[in-house]
Amino acid sequence: MTREDNGMNADVLDRFKPLFEPKTVAVVGVSAKSMALPNVFIRRIREFGYRGEIYPIHPSADEIDGLKAYRSLGDTPRPVDYAYIAIAAAQVPALLKDARGRLRFAQVISSGFGEIEEGRELQEQLVQAARAVGARLIGPNCLGIYSPRGGVTFAEIGSKETGPIGIVSQSGGLGIDIIRRGFGRGLTFSGLVTVGNSADVSPNELLEFYLADAQTKVIGMYIESAKDGRRLFEILRNARAAKPVVILKGGRTRQGLAAVVSHTGSLAGDERAWVALSRQTGCVLAETLDEFIDILHIFQTLTPRPQATRRVVLLGNGGGASVLATDYFSRQGLDVSLFGKETVDPLAAMRLPPGTSITNPVDCPVGTFQQEDGRVAEEILDIIYRKGRPDALVMHLNMSAFVGRSKPEVLDNLVQAALRVQLRYPGQAHFLLVLRSDGEPVLEERKRAFRASAVAMGIPVYDENANAGRALAAMQAHELYLSARNAPAGGDQQRR
Amino acid sequence: MSWSEGGGLEERTSRGMMTMDSIGEARKQGRTALDELAGKQLLAGFGIAVPKSRMVRDAADVVAATAALTPPLVLKVMSPDILHKSDAGGVKVGLNSAAEVEAALSVMMKIPAIAGARLDGFVLEEMAQPGQEMVIGGLRDPDFGPLVMVGLGGIFVEILKDVSFRICPITRLDAEEMLGELKGAALLDGARGSRPVSRAAIIDALLKVGGEGGLLMTHAQDFAEADINPLIVSESGAVAVDARFVLTQT
Repeated sequence: MTREDNGMNADVLDRFKPLFEPKTVAVVGVSAKSMALPNVFIRRIREFGYRGEIYPIHPSADEIDGLKAYRSLGDTPRPVDYAYIAIAAAQVPALLKDARGRLRFAQVISSGFGEIEEGRELQEQLVQAARAVGARLIGPNCLGIYSPRGGVTFAEIGSKETGPIGIVSQSGGLGIDIIRRGFGRGLTFSGLVTVGNSADVSPNELLEFYLADAQTKVIGMYIESAKDGRRLFEILRNARAAKPVVILKGGRTRQGLAAVVSHTGSLAGDERAWVALSRQTGCVLAETLDEFIDILHIFQTLTPRPQATRRVVLLGNGGGASVLATDYFSRQGLDVSLFGKETVDPLAAMRLPPGTSITNPVDCPVGTFQQEDGRVAEEILDIIYRKGRPDALVMHLNMSAFVGRSKPEVLDNLVQAALRVQLRYPGQAHFLLVLRSDGEPVLEERKRAFRASAVAMGIPVYDENANAGRALAAMQAHELYLSARNAPAGGDQQRR
Repeated sequence: MSWSEGGGLEERTSRGMMTMDSIGEARKQGRTALDELAGKQLLAGFGIAVPKSRMVRDAADVVAATAALTPPLVLKVMSPDILHKSDAGGVKVGLNSAAEVEAALSVMMKIPAIAGARLDGFVLEEMAQPGQEMVIGGLRDPDFGPLVMVGLGGIFVEILKDVSFRICPITRLDAEEMLGELKGAALLDGARGSRPVSRAAIIDALLKVGGEGGLLMTHAQDFAEADINPLIVSESGAVAVDARFVLTQT
């Protein structure tokens, strides 16, 4: 990294610090009588552990929810780092005028701006008003920010722990989905900003922040309109996939392609540029919210390997599930090929019960797994790691098959065994756990607890083999990109 | 028949490589695209091989033009009104003498679609050695700016849509990966008894079109779409046999 880059990094970190760690928060749109959304925001950040000063802004009330209220953004005791603004759209530009020189970030929740034809001019006035008082504008038409490091959240449920995932979302509702679903899956965040219409602060700028931010290890973006796609391309290209970037692209535009006359034009399609972006910069495209979360999860828990993942071993209970998983993994470009003699022979020597398949996929009926309360798995795994040398091992357990047939600790023992083997062969293989269940409440409860402890140990946990396969394929794509781009000249270049 | 303005080959060559002029000139004339000769001059200016050619206005030009070229030759109509020359009957290949060229010219001029069009003239051109037909394209994306495309010619592009896009500027590795992505890529290496063609020549052309300082980056504001179709690739090189550059609307 050059000195210039360092300078730019420091600059973007300084610029956005008041947003992610505001010392003062103003809340506009609070009600003295009812529980309006801004009142809820105050309650949420207090519950979330926000330690700075909160300034409710209200035209007449002296106190809101036990906090001293102020007439305008110009009357607060200290300058405002972050203002949460949810009042009628038309009133927002005038409101900002009072904040001259003492407001860093204004997040405008209100809608009625550029997302509708009649609001375009108002949005322009809003941008001008923010610029005139030296504030940066987030939104409008968004829901808020979630920043565990700053104790700020707009979501009712979400981890208080600061984690490695940085998110920028052009949809507020989807932002909440990401936080809430992520919470259940063990995802933790370095921040999540909903940017709505992105009239001023763009997804690109926040991407630059997350790339520079030491807390952030992986970046997720929900994008409906690139705003400045060329800039996005340049930022990602210059970043050289130093951090994995996962993009969930919504909205498929045909803008500008309506009048094509050439072959090239007619072949361009809707997503060609995004696919090209991913091939050229190493960013990963997700097609659904679940896939987005699955992929963020693998990058959160596992470290990319210098040699790209190819050989995968599947180990679990369920013959059909193993076969389907093998098919799916192969379609994703992962190699689930049979073990050679050097691996099969020692496994055969273990004399596992009939019905156990030892060729990859390794299919162990519950009867095999519960031998010695599941500790037999450790020996199987050791042979696989030592002789089979996989790049990734996916252990899939059909939880319902264990019910009533084995002691509860068998599942624990299985995973503990896998972890011990992992430690004996450090950095050799990615380890993923798939906990399959049928939705039965008691089983789900157990799965939840099991998932939490696994994730705490740094193991990504998936609901189905296909989810794990898709996430592992994303990891592979990232690793392939890095190995092709960072290889010395004339080195092994990846071709597909 | 009416001659549209734009000048013959002599006037153009006397002014040398005048890319910016030809773009400005085309705009001034209200054209939506560069004519074939201007497009090829543009390509040549970026180091892409184009066949040797002469402009022919009418039968009087044929003998001198034919003498300056090595047969077999191809005669192609050049008109802002004719998008698909072959479909209009405006392409005749395999001409070996001035007499054959004259005959082809006289047939073409009687075709109603050609007779009724504004004509820039006819291009008389040396035919490229046979090889694998490729397409290199360009497109200005409203979000991402210039994109470059590559595909195998004919049904691969038109029916199978077997193409690969990248955002400009591309690197050499990007260009290699683009070719690797094509489902028909095996044909380049000599599948089904054909001779292998030069991947290096295609990559070189891709970089000259879509690379740093390449045609599409240099003219990012000028062209909405571009087709080099076909680019004929042999074992040793690549020649742009036809080119179409659609201007951005200003």
